[in-house]
Order: sequence, then C-alpha cells, then structure tokens
Amino acid sequence: MKKGLIALLAVGAVLLGLFFWFQGNYNNMVKLDEGVQAAWSQVENVYQRRADLIPNLVATVKGYAQHEQQTLEGVISARSKATQITVDPENLTSEELAKYQKAQGELGAALGKLLAITENYPDLKANENFLSLQSQLEGTENRITVERNKYNQVAREYNTTIRQFPKNIVAGMFGFEKKPYFEAQEGAETAPKVEF
Amino acid sequence: MKFRLVNRIRICLAFILFFTSAALVAQVPQRPNPPRLVNDFAGIFTGAQVMEMESVLDAFADSTSNQIAVVTVPELYGYDKAQLAYEIGEQWGVGQDKFDNGIVILVKPKVGSSQGEVFIATGYGLEGAVTDALARRVIERQMIPHFRNNDYYSGVKSALEVLLPVISGEISSDEFSGNDDSEGLAVALAFLFCVIIFVCLLVALSSGDNRNFGGGNNRGGRNFTATDAFILGSILNNASGSRGRSGGFGGGFGGGFGGGGFGGFGGGSFGGGGAGGSW
Repeated sequence: MKKGLIALLAVGAVLLGLFFWFQGNYNNMVKLDEGVQAAWSQVENVYQRRADLIPNLVATVKGYAQHEQQTLEGVISARSKATQITVDPENLTSEELAKYQKAQGELGAALGKLLAITENYPDLKANENFLSLQSQLEGTENRITVERNKYNQVAREYNTTIRQFPKNIVAGMFGFEKKPYFEAQEGAETAPKVEF
Repeated sequence: MKFRLVNRIRICLAFILFFTSAALVAQVPQRPNPPRLVNDFAGIFTGAQVMEMESVLDAFADSTSNQIAVVTVPELYGYDKAQLAYEIGEQWGVGQDKFDNGIVILVKPKVGSSQGEVFIATGYGLEGAVTDALARRVIERQMIPHFRNNDYYSGVKSALEVLLPVISGEISSDEFSGNDDSEGLAVALAFLFCVIIFVCLLVALSSGDNRNFGGGNNRGGRNFTATDAFILGSILNNASGSRGRSGGFGGGFGGGFGGGGFGGFGGGSFGGGGAGGSW
C-alpha cells in the first residue's frame, strides 16, 4: 500500500514537473512574443510620428521654395505610399517587414532630398518654425533608429528562445514562428541615388 | 598530462572571459560605482564644479525623482553622439523604471582639430517636457556660446537652469512615491506555500498507511498534489513574473561618504528623443 502510494506520488511528480516545464516555457514564449509585438508597435509609432511631421514640413518649405514642386510632390506621394502599408504585429513575416521597410526607406530618401534642397534657401534656414521642424525630424530619425534596434534585440531574444532545443518542441507544438529582423542598414537597395 | 590539459582549458577560458569583458568595457563608459550624476570622464570641470552640480542634480533627483546625468567624454567611442547618449542612458538606467524620466547631457569637448559635440537625450517620460526643439534651443543658446569659450561649466549650468524648471513640472515626487511592495509579498507567499506543501508531502509519505490525509478522504494524497501544487506553480510563476524589466539598478549605494549622495539610477529607458549640436 505504502509502496503504491510512493510510486503514485513519483509518477505524479514527474508529470507535474513535465507540466510545469511546458507551462513555464510556453508562458515565457508568450511573454517574449508580446515583447516583440510591443516593440513592433513602437517602431510603427515612430514611423507614424515622422509621417505626421511631413505635412507641416512641406507646408513650411513650400512658402519659401515654390520652385521645388517636384521634390515636394515626391515627398507627399512617398508619404502616402508609406502610410498605406501597415503590418499586423500578429502576422510579422519577413516579406511584410521588407515591404514596410522599403516604403519607409523611400520616404526617408525623399525627405533627405527635400532637406538637401533647403540648403539653397537661406531664408528658410533662418525660419524658426522650420528649424524646430527640422530638429523634430532629426529626433524622429533618432527614435526610428533606437526603436528598430530595440525591436531587433527583442526579436533576437525571442528567436533564440524558440529555436533552442528542447524548447523548440514547445514552440513547434504551439506554432511560435521566427520573427524577421530589420536590415542593419536602411535598405541599401532603397538608398537614394546621388544625382547631379 | 591530464592536469596540463585542464590548465590549458582554464587559461583559454580566462582569456576568453578577459577579452569579452574588455570588449564590453570598450563600448560605453561603465556605470559609475558608487553612482554619480556628474561624470566628468573628459576632465573639463574642476572638483568644486563637479561637487556643486552633483549636489544640485542630486537634490533635484531627490525632490522630483527626475534624474539628469551629466556625462563628459574624451571621445565618442566610435558611436554617433546621439547613439552614445542613448546607450549611456539605457545601460546606466538613468531615470526611474516606471516613468523613464531620465536625461543624459553628453558633452565631448573640442580638443585640437576634433569638433566639440553635445547631445541632450531625453527618456521616454520626458519627451513631452523637453521636446527636441527645446533641447536644440538650449544647446544653441545656452550651451554652445559658452562652450566656444571653453567655459564648459557655465554652459552646462545655464542649460540646467532652463531644463530643471521645465522638467520638474512633468513628474512630481508624489506621483513617484507610490512605490509597491507587492513583489516582496508575492515571494513571501510563494515561500509559505512551498513550506506548507513540503510539510504536507512529508506527512503524506510518513503516514502512508493511515490514509487520514485530507480529512479522511482516501484519495487525499492525489487530490492534494494535483490542485495545490498547481496553485503553487502559478503563484511561483507570478512571483517570478512580477519582477518586471531586467537591468534595473534598483538600490545602489551612494549614501556612504561625502555627506549623503545620489542613491542610484532607477532603470529608466530611452527612445531617441532629444537633440544635439556641435561647434
């Protein structure tokens, strides 16, 4: 009788141990997954922040540089293209991310062109409103860099966890999938061509 | 032979450890220990100036919980100035964990032919108070004119004179002082459960034949493991989960010498706010 009870307890302990192992790993993966999604929404936030600055910037530049219609329109169309593409954080695949990054990269390139031509307008460069917009824009670019790095960090942590044996068994059972990374450089393929 | 092999492995390990830690050190200046808010790595302030700024910033951190770190560096360690400022803020944990209300003022003095660089990095929580445009204006109007005359102290001081009132409106100490002790409670509870379950197990094992466990229920033993242990498990899990973000620099010990002192960085986080300038 006593032996039976001990055996039962032992089996129960093993099963419990297994259960807790699964539970712990599963919950940990959920936590990491949430972390990646949170980091992703931060990334989208800062890109949105940049997009929100653009109408103001374009309006300010327009007042001083009417002749740069083409560049200004380039920025506006790149912005509308970029804001159309959003990625569902639940469905973060490398194709989606690449598409997103490409659109944002093109907007970045168009903005770079716009800021380059402002160098030719000393009045504009002296405008307090423009200067403030410019520093906000710079700050936003910094934020984008920071948030992309943070996203990559948490995505790496998540990927490392779900791909390690034996945790990959848990990950496979519950369908945790690898998250894509941002490319280290603002997409070399979308970098602006220097034109003279 | 065996002994030698072991030794060799040890030496290898020591080397690996040494180099990896050296690589870490080379990146960002290490968090000061004991913690300080003014870190003059470039040596551009006098001792008295450092003391004065430290006491002002320490008092400010005490009364408002906002932490402003002034860091001067002789070089940028291969970083962009903005990135270096964020890295310092993030790795040191300037600001409180909950509010991310830290600011890093980074100054790289102009030496020889190299440009002078300055950056004000704001934690997430202070981005509203110290906007990028404000940071830029402070740098251009308060700091760089003094820096051009090699008067770094006046530049930083007049920047602080603008920043402190602006920041103090943002997060008050009242808001901050609502600290929670729930973590300690959860751990204590989990421990208590552990003890109870252990005792129960002992009782169950030692009185296996009696079957009295669980108030005369025959299957008491099994009932107990399945349900109670489940509760225990989830409590333990919660307790470990509530520890929150890692990398916090909670306690710190600065109280020792020099008549009080800065209590330590709180684990604040930085998202890229702020502005920079160079001269």
